[in-house]
Amino acid sequence: MKLKYYLKDKLFEITCFFISIVMILLILFAFKINYQVIISIISISIITYLSLLLFDYFKKERFYTDLLANIETLDKSYLVLETLNKPEFYEGELLVSAVYEINKSMNENINMIETHLKDFKEYIEMWIHEVKIPLATLTLISNNQQCDKKIKRELKRLEDCVEQVLYYARSENAEKDYLIKETDLSKTIKNIGLKNMDNLIENKINYIVENINIKVLTDSKWLEFILGQIINNSIKYKRKIKNSYIKISVKEDDDKTTLIVEDNGIGIKKSDLKQVFDKSFTGENGRNVNKSTGMGLYIAKNMCEKLGHKIEIESVYNEYTKVYITFAKNKYYDVLK
Amino acid sequence: MLECGEIMSKILIIEDDQIISKELEKLLTNSGYQVSILKNFQDSLNEFLKISPDLILLDINIPYINGEVLLKKLRNYSDVPVIMVTSINSQIDEALSISYGADDYITKPYNPNILLLRISAVLKRINKNSNLLNYKDLKINLKKGIITKGIIEIYLTKNEMIIFSYLLNNQNRIVTRDELMTDLWNNNEFINDNALTVNISRLRNKLNEIGYKNIIETRKGQGYILL
Repeated sequence: MKLKYYLKDKLFEITCFFISIVMILLILFAFKINYQVIISIISISIITYLSLLLFDYFKKERFYTDLLANIETLDKSYLVLETLNKPEFYEGELLVSAVYEINKSMNENINMIETHLKDFKEYIEMWIHEVKIPLATLTLISNNQQCDKKIKRELKRLEDCVEQVLYYARSENAEKDYLIKETDLSKTIKNIGLKNMDNLIENKINYIVENINIKVLTDSKWLEFILGQIINNSIKYKRKIKNSYIKISVKEDDDKTTLIVEDNGIGIKKSDLKQVFDKSFTGENGRNVNKSTGMGLYIAKNMCEKLGHKIEIESVYNEYTKVYITFAKNKYYDVLK
Repeated sequence: MLECGEIMSKILIIEDDQIISKELEKLLTNSGYQVSILKNFQDSLNEFLKISPDLILLDINIPYINGEVLLKKLRNYSDVPVIMVTSINSQIDEALSISYGADDYITKPYNPNILLLRISAVLKRINKNSNLLNYKDLKINLKKGIITKGIIEIYLTKNEMIIFSYLLNNQNRIVTRDELMTDLWNNNEFINDNALTVNISRLRNKLNEIGYKNIIETRKGQGYILL
């Protein structure tokens, strides 16, 4: 709060005051009152008025400066009311009670939406578990009756789609749905391989796993999903060449472990590279292959952020794509062990 | 199985979806297991004691009693290996099940070949004698990768040994290429279709050398069988 603007705001009041002073002066002159009396009357009025004005200014200045400064510094500025002293003037009290009411109604609104969201998420999770039962039955039947591979392939696609919804619901939610534990990377890589074995073999893609007997801190189910998305992309966007491969390796540093998934697929155009993690971004590859939802990498990135991993993509069009996932090493955890 | 001197393992399925139970029974019977399906969920514990299986496939979502609670109760009576089956794919639930004493945890919808592998892995862990196998007058050392016939020794590569021992463990039935492939990948040998064919023909050649000609038969469109 600045004095200049405060006075500007009070300009009308101040003008009125000085007009009244001039009128009083005229009256006093008209009655030929002693100069000394006139001077004392006028100076008492002016001093009193100015001090009242300043007193009012400082009272308000303290409140409003605090208010603005706290809004600025607070991470959640809607909590500002809790940080303020009670204002000692009427307007301030009005303001505080108004903001309080607004906050309250907004909180109720947010609560309602959060409850809806939670209910919806719970419903989605329940639905997914429900839909997995007929999926499991169909998978078993198709195996027992030695059905066409096409049926198995479509069942796998269906399963992948369902899984994606599940992890989307989990990753978008504020609740903690994961458990970070020491996880054997080689086991995770093996599981993903087994899951995608049919697809990899059918597409004649070699799954090359270099020595990765390393443990990292993560949620193995989440990591399996993230890597599943990456492998899926590698299969989807393979080049029509003889020696297609997906190579998985690990680079270990003092403070971090990096998992590298490399393929020699069609790669990503430079102009698209920055946006691959954006929601619903399909890019040129997506348009060509026509099976892309643009959600896989977006969810993967979201999940990596929650788990505290870094995910990056490097690619040269028509040559290769490399995805790096970086796990931090936790010295504290080592001590605990 | 009985012919080659092994006892058929008895598996109890605890699962409330009848169609899944039936299909699971089919799958497991075809793979040479003896299967029972739990019928009375209200008294599942006594039912279990009556059947006394070698392994239990336990669904978490069953009527009257939660699978995890049942497992906890079960553990007071028996150390029977239990594989939890659930449609909930979360590390938290997995950790919980393991802490209640489950031996493995598999999520629906599972790949049938992987389920079979997990079952045989759990059973193998229980009967620890599986490092040495016999076939006719051959002695097979899985760990060293050696087949001995009298004083003759032949060496198998890791891949060849995985294939041979899988065929041997499932001697009474046709084994599909998919199954062999799944077992290889499960052992971190991520080979492709051609490599499997090459490995099988190498294995045949080696067995040929010690006088076992054509013991691995190809059944067209179905797979292989060890005679």
